[in-house]
Parts: sequence; C-alpha cells; structure tokens
Amino acid sequence: MTFLERSREPEAHKHWYGDMEASYVYSTGIAGERFFSTLRDKGKILGATCPKCKKTVLPPRMYCEVCFSEMGDWVDVGKEGRVDTFSIAQVGVGGEPLEEPVVYGLIRFPKVEGGLVHIIAAKPEKVKIGMKVKAKLRPRKERSGSILDIESFKPH
Amino acid sequence: MKKNVAVVGIGNTAFRPKTDEYSWKELMYEAASRAYDDAGLNARRDIDSFITCAEDYWEGFSIYDEFVPDQIGAAMRSCCTVTGDGIQGLALAYMQIMSGAAETVAVESHSKISDLLTYDDVLAFALDPIYNRPLGGHPHYIAGMEMRRFLRDSKCTEKDCARVVVKNRTNALKNASSAYGTKLTEDDVKKSAQVFSPLRKLDVSNLVDGGIVMVLASAERAKQITDNPVWMTGVGWSSDTPWLENRDWGRAEYAQMATKMAYKMAGIKNPSSDIDFAEIDDKFSYKELQHIEAARLARKGEAGKQLRKGRFDAQGRLPVNVSGGSLGCGNLVEAAGLHRAMELALQLRGHAGRHQIKKVVKRGLALSWRSVPTASGAAVVMEV
Repeated sequence: MTFLERSREPEAHKHWYGDMEASYVYSTGIAGERFFSTLRDKGKILGATCPKCKKTVLPPRMYCEVCFSEMGDWVDVGKEGRVDTFSIAQVGVGGEPLEEPVVYGLIRFPKVEGGLVHIIAAKPEKVKIGMKVKAKLRPRKERSGSILDIESFKPH
Repeated sequence: MKKNVAVVGIGNTAFRPKTDEYSWKELMYEAASRAYDDAGLNARRDIDSFITCAEDYWEGFSIYDEFVPDQIGAAMRSCCTVTGDGIQGLALAYMQIMSGAAETVAVESHSKISDLLTYDDVLAFALDPIYNRPLGGHPHYIAGMEMRRFLRDSKCTEKDCARVVVKNRTNALKNASSAYGTKLTEDDVKKSAQVFSPLRKLDVSNLVDGGIVMVLASAERAKQITDNPVWMTGVGWSSDTPWLENRDWGRAEYAQMATKMAYKMAGIKNPSSDIDFAEIDDKFSYKELQHIEAARLARKGEAGKQLRKGRFDAQGRLPVNVSGGSLGCGNLVEAAGLHRAMELALQLRGHAGRHQIKKVVKRGLALSWRSVPTASGAAVVMEV
C-alpha cells in the first residue's frame, strides 16, 4: 500500500524554503469609516442602533446580526465601561517571553451589545472582572483613525 | 436507528510533531491508502466522490484544492475542498449520499503544520484586521480571556482544567497514534509557565502532523463492503458571531447549536444518558469542560464536578477523549475534528486497541471546534 522504504537519514531530508508576501488594504467600510473618523476627530466612541431590535451594538456595523436590518441611529456610548474578561499575556507572537506582561480585556459599555477588545493599562494583579475602566485616547494630533487612537483602558 | 450512511473505511498516519521524510501529499497518500485498504475498495473504481478539508494558509499555497486530487485517488473524479474542519467534510459527505449524488465518499483531512515556520503569525492574521489585529500579541490571549470568563460563569476551576490535561495525556499513553501521551500530575500543570493567564503552558495542546481519511457509504453499499458498519445518525454544524466583542465568552454557543442539530437528527433527547462516550474538542484544557456543558453531557456548571467524580475517565460512566484528545494525541488543526470522529468509529467497531473502552459502547458523540479566534464547531453522532 504505502512506500516500501522510508528514509531515516536526517541529511537526506531535503526542504524547499518558500515565503509569501501578502499585503492587503482592508476597507473599514461605511460603518467603520464613521466610527474611526469620529474617534479621531471628536474623540468619541460610537455605537450603531438597530431600529428594529432597539439595541446599540459595538463595534458598529451597517447591519444588525440579530434581525438583518440596516442600522439606524448612531450613539455616543461614552468612554467608561467594565471589564468582562481579561487575560495576561506573558509571551508574544513567536512565543518569546515578554519583559512586561500585557493585559488584554473585553470592555463592555452600559446598555450596549458587544464592546471593545483592548489593552488594559494596569498592574496585572489589580485587574478584576467587573472593574470599571475608562478609555485613554491619544492626543488629537497623534490620532490617525485607528483602534490604536485609544491608547488603552485605565482603571477608573 | 437511522441506517442511511455508514463509515466503512478508516485510515490514519501516526501523529508526530514532525514528518520530515514525507511531503504533505505523501502524508495524505498514506492515510488514504490505509483507509481504502480498510474498506477493501479500489479508489480509482469504487469511490464516487472525494472531499478534503483544509485552509490555504495552513497549507502554504494559494488555491490549495487544485493540488489535491492525485494523492487521494481523485484525479478526474468528483472532488472538492471544504475550507474548514473535518466534521464539516463528513456533513457534506452525508448530504452527498443522502441526495443520491454519490454512494461512496472519501473524506480527507490532514495537518502538515510542521511545514509552516510562522504558525503564530498566520494565526494572528485570522483576527479582525481593523478592530483586533492592530492590538498585536499572540492570539492565544483570546483563549486566556475565554478561560477566565468560563471559570467565572461555571463552577469549574483551574484545578479541573489541570485534571483534564492529566486525564487526556494519560489516556494517550494507550493510543499508538498519539504523540503526547505521558504520565503527569495536576501539580505539573499548576507549575507550568503562565502564558496567557489563567492559561498555562500545559493547558495548550501541541501541534502535530498527521493524515486521516474516512470512507462513507450508503446503506446498500455499506452492506456489500463491510460486516461492521458504523452508522452516522446525526450531524450538525454552527458558527457563533465572528465578532469577538459580541460573544458570550462563558459559553460555547456554536457547540450547543451544532450538537442540538446532530441530536435532533439522531433522535437523542437526553444526551447525558443516551450518549455512551464522547470525543470532544480539547485544544485548550478548559474547552473540554465548556464543550461538555454545551453538548449537554453535564448540566451547566457541573462539568468540573462530574470530572472530579471520574465520570469522564476511561473507566467512567461517560468517557470523554479516551483517545487522549488533542492534548494527548496532538493538535491536528483542521483534521482535529476528523480525528475525534475517527476515534468514535474505531471505538464503536471495537478496533481501538489498548484504549478500547471496557464497557460496551453503542453510541458516541464527536464535537469539533476550529480553535481561536473562531466560534465554529461541528458535531457528529455515530452508532452501532
């Protein structure tokens, strides 16, 4: 059925190296454009409200994933939320140990479905589920219209 | 029991961290050859349709499916690729047979993940490019976040997760195909490095290479092919929202939906008593417990308690991952689900060797998950 012999010689195992350069430009879309330009220009975090479900969703999008309607009103959800869950990364991409651990968390906002995944700038041992945090924005001139316009969420 | 579609052939390679001597095509060829030999079928004559389950980025080239047919005997035949988990491939095969499009179908999935030198980077590329990827970091932080919320919402503990690691890696000692069988203690897990806390190094399954092929047939063909068919009586698949931000992090809703669909098809009302054993995704230790609850093999909040009572042990009332799972056998990436399903069929045939469950088993559940950052899973119920 399969091969009569299999090589046991490490030296005989030939490899061909290949790599793939893949660059993309991802459109943020109609909803993303509005979210990120408002974050950059006005320093506000916007959610989108479904006219049918009446729920405000973050990150905002053009369509409601529950009822498939087109979203209606845009709402400033504020900068304060609570930590829904978090983890403390001690290693980075590639598995290298990090000098300073990084706390990643999911932040939920009052009366909002969803939230934002972001970095929590606090001592890891101080971070708790349910803890109040507030978005710390970069200064206006440093903001470029990206999720990184929010520097981090800090205990509040 | 619905006797419509049966597993009539099973083949796999050993699961190893590296397979330097084989090309990825030869790995697939070996698994396929074994499966066709097991079924006693000539692939070039007797198999109507071929399905392979893989993702381009894991394979390392664009349009992977163009490179498939020859090594599984499918050149110039009906052949297609499911860019997903192996159980999704089984579901497609089931539909092809039920619709009459094919009478015999081969389902293939494999991992030659050792060929990928930058696994972490490819995984990071699976994150939402606009909202999540710019934050950087190893995507396993998502598993750490999910584990923390799950432990908070259930009554499971880090110690329970350690117990899953001990159970599965010890079970794997009896599985000849496994790569990571070993004896270890809960203390070893507790002492292993924090990586994405609460997730520790030993809570994470290790990648392996390996190939699996399963041959399915209609009831009529199955009777001609084999004396010991294993019947696929239910199949289901589901995806929760792709937005990390919108999920309920304490629960595996995709697994709940996928198993619900499979149970309904199989006519199962009380999974915790109707299912004799299960092979459940355990790419991270806590996922086994979360998936057990989602599949209703334990009441919500009780998976840890039942685990401590030994219910899911190899000798328990409802053995879970007696094969060793991904923690014990190794993480086969897209083939991990097909491995779960394969182990189900082997047990039901009585061909599982040293890890054969001692009591008689008649009905099992296999449940897959496509790992972080996905919320996609698939389930299959098999019976004899």
